[in-house]
Parts: sequence; C-alpha cells; structure tokens
Amino acid sequence: MSDQIVQLMSSTLIQGSLLAVISMGMTLVYGALRVLNMAQGVLVMMGGFVGYSVTTSLHASPWLGLLAALVVTFIAGVLTYYLSVKPLIGRRGVDFEMTAFISTFALATIMQNLILIGYGPRQKPFPPLLEGSINLTTSVSITYHQILIGVVGIVSLTFLGLFLSRSRYGLAITAISQNLDAARLMGVPVGRAYIITMGLAGSFAGLAGILLAPVYFVSPNAGDLPLLQALIIVIFAGLGSVKGTLYAAYIIGFVSSGVGIFLSSTYSLPVLYAVIVGLLIVRPNGISGRPQEVRL
Amino acid sequence: MSVKSSNHNVARTLGWPVANKLAVFIGVLIAAIVPFVISGSYWLGTLTLALIIIVLNQSWNLVLGYSGVWNFGQLAIYAIGGYAAGLVSLHTSLPWPVAMLIGGISAMAVSLVLAFPTLRLRGIYVSLLTFGFAEVIRLLIISDQSGITGGTFGLSGFKGFGLADVESQLRQKYFYWIALVVALVSSAVFYRVIHSHVGNGLIALRESPALAAARGLNPVKYQIIAFGLSGLFAGFAGSLYAFNYGVVGPSIMGLGPMTLFVTMLVVGGMGTQTGPILGTLLVAVASTSLEKWPEVRLIVFSLLLLLIVLLVPRGFVPILGDLKKRVSDWVAE
Repeated sequence: MSDQIVQLMSSTLIQGSLLAVISMGMTLVYGALRVLNMAQGVLVMMGGFVGYSVTTSLHASPWLGLLAALVVTFIAGVLTYYLSVKPLIGRRGVDFEMTAFISTFALATIMQNLILIGYGPRQKPFPPLLEGSINLTTSVSITYHQILIGVVGIVSLTFLGLFLSRSRYGLAITAISQNLDAARLMGVPVGRAYIITMGLAGSFAGLAGILLAPVYFVSPNAGDLPLLQALIIVIFAGLGSVKGTLYAAYIIGFVSSGVGIFLSSTYSLPVLYAVIVGLLIVRPNGISGRPQEVRL
Repeated sequence: MSVKSSNHNVARTLGWPVANKLAVFIGVLIAAIVPFVISGSYWLGTLTLALIIIVLNQSWNLVLGYSGVWNFGQLAIYAIGGYAAGLVSLHTSLPWPVAMLIGGISAMAVSLVLAFPTLRLRGIYVSLLTFGFAEVIRLLIISDQSGITGGTFGLSGFKGFGLADVESQLRQKYFYWIALVVALVSSAVFYRVIHSHVGNGLIALRESPALAAARGLNPVKYQIIAFGLSGLFAGFAGSLYAFNYGVVGPSIMGLGPMTLFVTMLVVGGMGTQTGPILGTLLVAVASTSLEKWPEVRLIVFSLLLLLIVLLVPRGFVPILGDLKKRVSDWVAE
C-alpha cells in the first residue's frame, strides 16, 4: 500500500508538471486573445517531430532537438496567429470566439495531415533526454527522464511567472488579458503582444512535445491526447486563469494517476471528463474563472 | 393578428423566406427518380450517405445555427441513436420502423439530459462540456469489453431493414428511398418548426438572451425543445446509418467525422434552411471524388473550411440569397 502511495505521489508530480506545460499555452492564448487554440495539440506533436528530425538526420543529441523544437514551434505558433486568428479580429457580424475556434481547428487538421504525408503514420522512437533510473522503494522506480519532466516543468513555469510579472512584454500580455481597452489606452502594443503570446504558447507546446516523445513515441496522432487533456485542464481551471491552470494541472494529474494506479488507465479520460461535467454543473466558470465577457 | 393564423402568415409578415413550392416539387421529383438515372451503386451509395448526413446536419443546425448553443456533442447523440436501433434490431423481432423510433427516442432522451447542464453555461464552455461528453461516450464504447456494444469493432450482425435477400442493386435503391423519405420528413419538420413561434423564439434568444427573456420567452423551455427535437432526428440519422451499413462503430464520431460535418454546415451556412442540405450534398460529392487520395482529402476540406470561415463566415446560402435579391431588384428596376 505504501508503495502505491509513493507511486501516486511521484506520478502526480510528474504528470501534473507535464499537464501544466501542455495546457499553459492554451491558457495564455485564451487570456490575451480570447481564442481557444485548437492547434495546441498539433504543435505538441510538431515539437516531437522537429526533435526527431534533428536527432536522426544530424545525429545530434536530443538536447539540440529540444532547442530546435522550441524555435520551430515558436514560429509555428506565430504562423497560426497570422493564418487563422488575425484575419478574424475586429470583423463585424461574426462571432469571433466561435469562428476562431473553427479556424484554428481547421488549420490544425491541415498541419497534422501535412505531417502525416511527409513522415507517414508509423510511430517513431525518440531517445530520452537523460538515461537511467533510480529506485524509490524496492518496487517503485522512477526514470531520470521522469525526474527531468518534473524539474523542467517547474523551472519553465517559474520562468513564465517571472516573465509575466516582471518583463515588459509579459506585463503587456497580463494587462491585455485583464482589460484590452485600458491596455490599448495605456499604449500597450497589442498586436506585438498577441504575436509574442502565440509564439510563447507554441514554444510551451514544443517543450511538452519533446518531453512526451520518449514516453509516447513520435507520431502524427501524438497531439490528440495532449489536446484533450489540455481542454480538460483549461475548463477545470476557468479559461484564461494562469494560477487556476497550475492548480488544475496538479489536481487532474492526481486524479488521472490515481485512476491509472488503482483502476485502469483506459478509464482515466472518461473519469476526467465525468469530473469536468460534474464541476461545470456546480461551478460554470471553472475553479477560478470569471464569467465570460464579450470582446474584440 | 389572431393566434390561430397559419405559420405561413407569420413567416410572411416577418419577411422570412418562404419555400418556393414549384422549386421544392421539382427538387423532390428529381431526388425520387435519381436511382433510375444513376447507374452503378457507387454514387447511389454516396447520395444515400449524403441524405443520412443531411438529417443529422439539419438536426445539428437547429441547436448550433438557430439556437446559437455551441453543442459539439451531436455526434455522440447520433451514435447513440444508431447503437440503440442496432441493439433493438439485434435482440428483438420488432419491425424496423419501431427500431428506428426507439433509436430516435433514446437519442432524444440523452440529448435532453445533455441540455440541462449546458443551460447553466455560456459560449465556449458549452462546446467544451458537450465535446467532453461526446469523448466520454466514444471512449466508453471503445473500452467496453462486456460485448454489448462490440467495442472498437462496432456492433454488427443485426437485420436492419430486413432486405438481406433482395438483389443488391435493388436493395441499394430501397436504401436510397428510405433515406430520402426520412430526409424529406426531417426537412418538413424543421421548416415548420423554424417558421413557427418556436423558431422565432430560438432566434430571439440567440440574438439577445437578456432582451428575449425580458419579453417573456423562457430560455429553459426553448432550449429543451431545441435539444429534444434535434436529438430525435440525430437519433433517426444514426439508426438510418446503422441499418444502411449493417454496422455501427465508434469511428462514426470523433474529430475526423466532426471536421467533415462542420465543414458541410459552414460551407452551406449555419442558421439557414437550405444551408445544411446544399453544403452536405456539395461536400459529400466532393469527398467521394477525392476518395482516391485520402490524405489529401482532409487537407482540402480543412483548407476549404478555413478559407470559408475567413472569407465568407456566413456560408454560401446567404450570399446566394443576396445575389438573387440583387438580381430581382435589378429586374424590377
């Protein structure tokens, strides 16, 4: 029993950090642009593919793959903004959130199928960033890669927190998500902040993609599960709330590891969705979301 | 205006488009004789599937287009209708119209259950909740090992329309006509509903919930009517699908089919009467033509969806309507 508890605690910490990294991009984009970016899952998958290409074609270390993935997904995030979001901003007579939801979804399908044509449907292996494992108790062991996931997750989220609260553009993003009109009147360069937000969200997705790749392999469908998980977390958190996303990621990580350890991992998504349906009935705006307002 | 005045008069006084009787008659006549004209069951099969999806898309359009409720769980309702009808057909000896009716009613019941939690939510949260609901249904079916639903492989082996010993060319024609009749019934029902005070109320609640509620329209009542009716016809569509193909599996829902159906709705124009019909026919025919290149097909459709959302977000039908009006104005001058 105590083994299972150790396993549950370590798994919660790892899964929670991973889920936070996956869903943080979605939260940032929703907070600043009021767009639910359905391309986030595809960007996660793309991160894995960039890492795979760099490590196999250049025989480079996976760390270089990580760096390349961060850059490429940043660019892909910015492209998503130009292709599927920017043309819709400020259009009259159109429900912005709904159309942006559909347009990012369409773009995601295009990118996913382009990668499917380019690389084929087969799963590809990806080396872990760190080899080896360590025994916590006699029967519970944890790989260095899993520890790395936890550490990288916490470090990158701390970096994000500092960026949002200390740096010039981070403050701009925060201001925009609090009040767009006030931010504009104060001279915040809204357009540039949008681009940075989308790129940053892309990089978070790319990071998640590389961290996931050794565990789930690299394949064109590798982004579907992260997208569904991210959707669960951002609703649970309340859309656009960075702090809520952090809490939600660890709560959901706890629930899904618990279901995986004590029941069976096939039930983990159905149970999570059941939790969400229950939560939304009690709290329609998630744990720390505010009522939705109309914008743009 | 007296309460008893016909729906048509309401429509006319409100300036809504009224169906052109001659055009409808010719359209139905052409649709009915198509099986004699088209040779080969390949295209007839495509058209049959298109008719089934027309029923589904019309039901979806009532909730998504007219009510403005972002329900992305419709495919689960559709699948539940298919599974219910298939199970009835497999385990009982009831005639197929009864099985279809049971499929429709089961789907309606589930749709009504889904309506209550969504009533508390707004906008994007509704889409997430309903999409989550659909995923739970899909994942439960996939991971089902009890043998009731058949898991990943789907449910099959039921007798369906009971036309197994009819020669295959003729059977295909029967399938087509059954689907056509259901599609016509569904079009007529949705036409009547939308041209009644219910449709009017739904549009009012979509455009301005607060104002409509203040004028005495009960949002709960209208949303429940919309979900119930939409669920009933989605269930009919699901039963038609199950009986037509003799199999119903979890692959009829999920992101892939949803992309296709949303494309159909957006191409035609959501919240219009003819939009779902034209959009479905157009995309279904294009989809079959591209069948040889399955990887390219989804790219083409997603690109189409993206371009239409960016360039003509209201769909093609309203644009054609504007064009027609401009031409008739010009003729009148």
